[in-house]
Amino acid sequence: MMNSNAPSSSSGAAASTDSSAPRRNSKRPKYSRFTQQELPACKPILTPRWVISAFMLVSIVFIPIGVASLFASRDVVEIVNRYETDCIPQPSRSDKVKYIQSSEDKTCNRTLRVPKHMKQPIYVYYQLDNFYQNHRRYVKSRSDEQLKNSNSESDTSSCKPEGTIANGSSIVPCGLIAWSLFNDTYSFSRNNQQLTVNKKGISWKSDREHKFGKDVYPKNFQNGAIRGGANLTTSIALSEQEDLIVWMRTAALPTFRKLYGKIEVDLQENEIIEVTLQNNYNTYSFNGKKKLVLSTTTWLGGKNDFLGIAYLTVGGLCFFLAMAFTIVYLVKPRRLGDPSYLSWNRNPGGH
Amino acid sequence: MISILSSTPVSPVSPITNVLPLSMVLFVSLVKEAWEDWKRFQNDKTINNTSVDVLQDQKWETVSWKNLQVGDIVKVKQDGFFPADLLFLASTNADGVCYVETANLDGETNLKIRKALEKTWDYLTPEKAFEFKGEVQCEQPNNSLYTFTGNLIIEKQTLPLSPNQLLLRGCSLRNTEYIIGAVVFTGHETKVMMNSMNVPSKRSTLERKLDRLILTLFVVLFCMCLIGAIGSGVFLDRKYFFLGLRGPALSADMNPSNRFVVALLNMFTLITLYSPIIPISLYVSVEMIKFIQSTQYINNDLHMYHVETNTPALARTSNLNEELGQVEYIFSDKTGTLTRNLMEFFKCSIGGELYGTGVTEIEMGEAQRNGIKVDEVHKSSNTVREKGFNFDDARLMRGAWRNEPNPDMCKEFFRCLAICHTVLPEGEETPEKIRYQAASPDEAALVAAAKNFGFFFYRRTPTLIYVRESHVEKMGKVQDVPYEILNVLEFNSTRKRQSVVCRYPDGRLVLYCKGADTVIYERLAEGNNDLKKTSREHLEQYGAAGLRTLCLAYRDLCSDTYENWNEKFIQAKSSLRDREKKLDEVAELIEKDLVLIGCTAIEDKLQEGVPTCIETLARAGIKIWVLTGDKMETAINIAYACKLINNDMKQFIISSETDDIREVESRGDQVEIARYMRDAVKNQLKKCHDDAQNYLRSLSPPKLALVIDGKCLMYALDPSLRVMLLNLSLNCTSVVCCRVSPLQKAQVTSLVKKGARKITLSIGDGANDVSMIQAAHVGVGISGLEGMQAVMASDFAIAQFRFLTDLLLVHGRWSYLRICKVVTYFFYKNLTFTLTQFWYTFQTGFSGQRFYDDWFQSLYNVIFTALPVIMVGLFDKDVSASLSKKYPELYKEGIRNTFFKWRVVATLAFFALYQSLIVYNFVIASSTNSVDSSGKMFGLWDVSTMAFNCIVVTVNLRLLMMCDTITRWHHISVGGSILAWFMFILVYSGVYTPRGIYSVFYVLISTVYFYTTLLVVPIVALFGDFLFQGVQRWFFPYDYQIVQEMHRHEPDSSSAGLLEIGNQLTPDEARSFAVAQLPREKSKHTGFAFDSPGYESFFASQAGVLAPQKPWDVARRASMRSRAKTPRKN
Repeated sequence: MMNSNAPSSSSGAAASTDSSAPRRNSKRPKYSRFTQQELPACKPILTPRWVISAFMLVSIVFIPIGVASLFASRDVVEIVNRYETDCIPQPSRSDKVKYIQSSEDKTCNRTLRVPKHMKQPIYVYYQLDNFYQNHRRYVKSRSDEQLKNSNSESDTSSCKPEGTIANGSSIVPCGLIAWSLFNDTYSFSRNNQQLTVNKKGISWKSDREHKFGKDVYPKNFQNGAIRGGANLTTSIALSEQEDLIVWMRTAALPTFRKLYGKIEVDLQENEIIEVTLQNNYNTYSFNGKKKLVLSTTTWLGGKNDFLGIAYLTVGGLCFFLAMAFTIVYLVKPRRLGDPSYLSWNRNPGGH
Repeated sequence: MISILSSTPVSPVSPITNVLPLSMVLFVSLVKEAWEDWKRFQNDKTINNTSVDVLQDQKWETVSWKNLQVGDIVKVKQDGFFPADLLFLASTNADGVCYVETANLDGETNLKIRKALEKTWDYLTPEKAFEFKGEVQCEQPNNSLYTFTGNLIIEKQTLPLSPNQLLLRGCSLRNTEYIIGAVVFTGHETKVMMNSMNVPSKRSTLERKLDRLILTLFVVLFCMCLIGAIGSGVFLDRKYFFLGLRGPALSADMNPSNRFVVALLNMFTLITLYSPIIPISLYVSVEMIKFIQSTQYINNDLHMYHVETNTPALARTSNLNEELGQVEYIFSDKTGTLTRNLMEFFKCSIGGELYGTGVTEIEMGEAQRNGIKVDEVHKSSNTVREKGFNFDDARLMRGAWRNEPNPDMCKEFFRCLAICHTVLPEGEETPEKIRYQAASPDEAALVAAAKNFGFFFYRRTPTLIYVRESHVEKMGKVQDVPYEILNVLEFNSTRKRQSVVCRYPDGRLVLYCKGADTVIYERLAEGNNDLKKTSREHLEQYGAAGLRTLCLAYRDLCSDTYENWNEKFIQAKSSLRDREKKLDEVAELIEKDLVLIGCTAIEDKLQEGVPTCIETLARAGIKIWVLTGDKMETAINIAYACKLINNDMKQFIISSETDDIREVESRGDQVEIARYMRDAVKNQLKKCHDDAQNYLRSLSPPKLALVIDGKCLMYALDPSLRVMLLNLSLNCTSVVCCRVSPLQKAQVTSLVKKGARKITLSIGDGANDVSMIQAAHVGVGISGLEGMQAVMASDFAIAQFRFLTDLLLVHGRWSYLRICKVVTYFFYKNLTFTLTQFWYTFQTGFSGQRFYDDWFQSLYNVIFTALPVIMVGLFDKDVSASLSKKYPELYKEGIRNTFFKWRVVATLAFFALYQSLIVYNFVIASSTNSVDSSGKMFGLWDVSTMAFNCIVVTVNLRLLMMCDTITRWHHISVGGSILAWFMFILVYSGVYTPRGIYSVFYVLISTVYFYTTLLVVPIVALFGDFLFQGVQRWFFPYDYQIVQEMHRHEPDSSSAGLLEIGNQLTPDEARSFAVAQLPREKSKHTGFAFDSPGYESFFASQAGVLAPQKPWDVARRASMRSRAKTPRKN
């Protein structure tokens, strides 16, 4: 009896046309797993057992990694020497900025004691503090085109206020970053024997080869009214100026280290290293610290306990939680899928 | 705005960053809009191109609807729809009448009669019609369906026009070969169109809440920017010589001598920097998800495909999917929605004997609840099955009643059915071809029953009723018996009964009476208490089964008594004042000392599965209100039948049908009536309200039900009483509003929607439900029948009421869950991302230096995290469809909005904060020193790429953690997203761009640091979430989680039975007799019903106009012109 529920089948005509139609003209949706929402699926349920085993697994994986990385970090020998105040002669300390901007000789001697045997290569870093290399104004004040390509010399629009000199000719390399290039220099000697600092290969290869042009030479650099930092030898192409390349890879944080060079001999325990440094760079106007760092590396890089501690903490915490959950699970288990937990079974009133 | 900002110099990012995602978002939404518009256009086109015959040059020309003009003369054939509002001129029927079905307008399927002016009856042929010259003056187009005033001026004669000459667009012509009409209003001026408001664009509640969330995000954004801006103002100083803060050309945003301007400008910088916190792509993703949900899932669900009418479900809008998961109140129309508007003679009790083997839906449901398997007993193939008759008991059929204990009683029973009515036979006088025109379908069903029992009523003259009686004298004998009808004591709502005095050919005078059990029992003769008692029990049993019952009785009259009485009757009839009242009084005189014959039970056929569906929905915490234009008794009866009301419930009835009110009404003073009514309603409301409070305070509060009729509702909706009404009705589990107008339906709906701020759903099938459908949050239309108005106004169209279970409990719930997940996830991922950026700001002197590369930032939302969340929006389901229906209580989580509370958002925000801190600090802290044995240091871009890398992995894994089901699409999309990031960065940092990012990634992956960090950061970041989820599930499980666990070992097997579902015709007839005989608790309710369609006139009188001629008056007039009160002449 087709269409029996059509209220007005008093006239049979409508009903009969209807009933003949559907066979040919069915609007019946086609079956597919997608439209019927029956795609095969796994249904993960976070049962207590899963929770415990997940925690357990994490702790088992993490604790060894943590231990390993902590050991690696402990293997690193690091000498840090803060010198920005000590390298200013006592009388000038009242006005450090004036001293640093004066043209007197700023040579300063520091002695470092090697606490432990340091295997070569020993990396020499300088570390600045409160230096916002990541300031928006600073970060964008460079011209990557200009650095790479000698034809783009005039591409200095992003370099303000260090784009051009007074007569309008472009500065190469332009911009605040290059302008403020770090210019303290260090030389090391051991037992009055000079230690060579290898300044080659301190920048990332990709920077050297692709970002800084082999045929781009400094021009009009540090010719402005105020000198920001180091000067560059105009005869050396930018791709060879590794100090610049290192400096131009702007740091993420206001406290940063940058690689200065490598000492490629071992240093013995308790050896005294004489450092002769030219304290040229002005961090005094913004109260920035300067540090000289000598450090060895391991497979995990320099001295950084953070990762090791993090791994160990997380691993430990997971282990602890796994234990805690196990105890709860054993002491007061919740039966899985207990209907009495259903809200409408808990309060029969239905409130 | 942010895009514009980003193209200004203050921006830290390049414009592409913001423009790209925005334009993608805009593009996708444009495509969607265009597609929906196109569909609408197609729909309009079909309607506009329907053709109709228009008179042109004395010929009928076929013209499409859109070309109709006012003044055209059109011909509409049988079963055709009127293309415009027509002035009815002529019809093929005698007397210039035509029958109109208004199901599209008011949901009523009984035919209305329209009558042309006598002057115009002749214009039937094209030649004649061509001569028709007239002028129509009428009111301006308006939306009142039941009023029309105007004049027709023909040959300088002015004839008044009434609604009776107006054929409304949307109605269809019945039982008339064709009619001729003149177009009065077309298109948007038709009354139907005036009634259909512009479909208000509906947005889901969740989306509105989402807007608030976005607003909150804006506030957060503002705060972050403010902090940053103040910081930048304070930070900037000339002492940082390396920033080059000197010289005259210093731009304002970097000028330390004006810190305020610096802060202000920096604010804008930061806004663009933090703009990813606002998930622009959220809206388009959600729209896309919803669009697929509605077009692919809802429209294609085989569970919601109705075979009989070949109608699949249809989501007409994709905006409201998740709203379906939060519905708390359902407003349902009755006729056509809950019921099929099909009255079927179902059972009867004659002389204390039960007949009829059918089982109603309710009994089925009850039996199933009691765990009794209902045997599908197939009926003998020769069962009589026709409209209005669904009765099977061999003891009564084909003369078998002669062998029953009470054959005489049976005979009286059948005669009563065949004689005591006001039905008009139509068509050929054979049992197969005849059609009964009745004022109510109940009556038709009763007469049809008599026919099937062998008492075939086939002709009616003004004084006689002809019945072809079989098997009376002896088996197999057929004789035509004319009964003389002496008096008809009509039905009205006070009397609740109808009587006929007739004279047998042999001179026997009998009064046959049928009516509500209460009134009949009052008037029974003394004695025979056994019969009364058993019949009463049967009545109650029927009532409990949701059947509409009538008691039949008769009384033998001696001619003296009758003559005496008849004089009084004639007197009363001819009296001019208070005629109705006097007639009632006179009727009382003769309708007494009746002899009970038995009772009938008519099934107001419910749509299939309605009681089960309603019960499921009730368990899901949804409250169902029935809003119907029907009488109170009918409505209550249906409420019982649908299990909305049962006898354990405390009922409050607020009715205008009380003696006091009637008395005041009879005085006719409108002002007084209004005042009195208002007071009465107020008192009743107050009383009910107090009672309700008392009940609720009691220890075991009973469930409450409220029944209110339209007239009372009119006053109760008054602003002063509204609050009380609302409070009362919210305390009730079910509410029945009867005799309500379409407008009131809408008012009630918006009362709950606005007053109680609950999510409402309206479901209906007729044009009278349109306003209600539009008023509710979600409108559902019943499709598959002729009427399309409701569907056109609705947001979802389903073929059957029972599909609501699937629509709400499955699709709605899933949509809600999915959208909640999608929205919260979007919120989370953007917050996490932006917060890392925010933390970085503190390290950059608040300068607004971006942490991430432009492309990272813009592609983060568009590529690296976009697809998996859409997969969640499409595929995630907590429990399978069958379990959703098995545990309807799960739906309550949606009503309570468990998954999108501020608390949920706050928790997520907390974890976003936690994760951003972890990601940022871990990456930063682990990269302060050289990270491999070459001793070289990382720069800004190395660190940021690492951080971004960690974020992409973390955020994508976090998505997997919140999935309840993981399909292969999840794996593909999550894996794909992470892979896409690696591919992108490999290519991006491999190709030289004048940016810092060049070759960064190659440097990164050459270090051990990269791998160690990548392992630890996501795990630590997700550690918090994992712990939270584990603890939550362990100690405070959600309901759905329990259900998941209960069924964790079951395969998802719902597909097994699916292919069959669509094909089987539900056996709605094959049911066991045994179930009907089951012992069950005694029910006090007996379902009296005698449907009288006073609907139309009721509205007309409400609107202050005279009732148009009632169809049943006309119907009656044809046969009983001498007796029936004279209908008003038009």
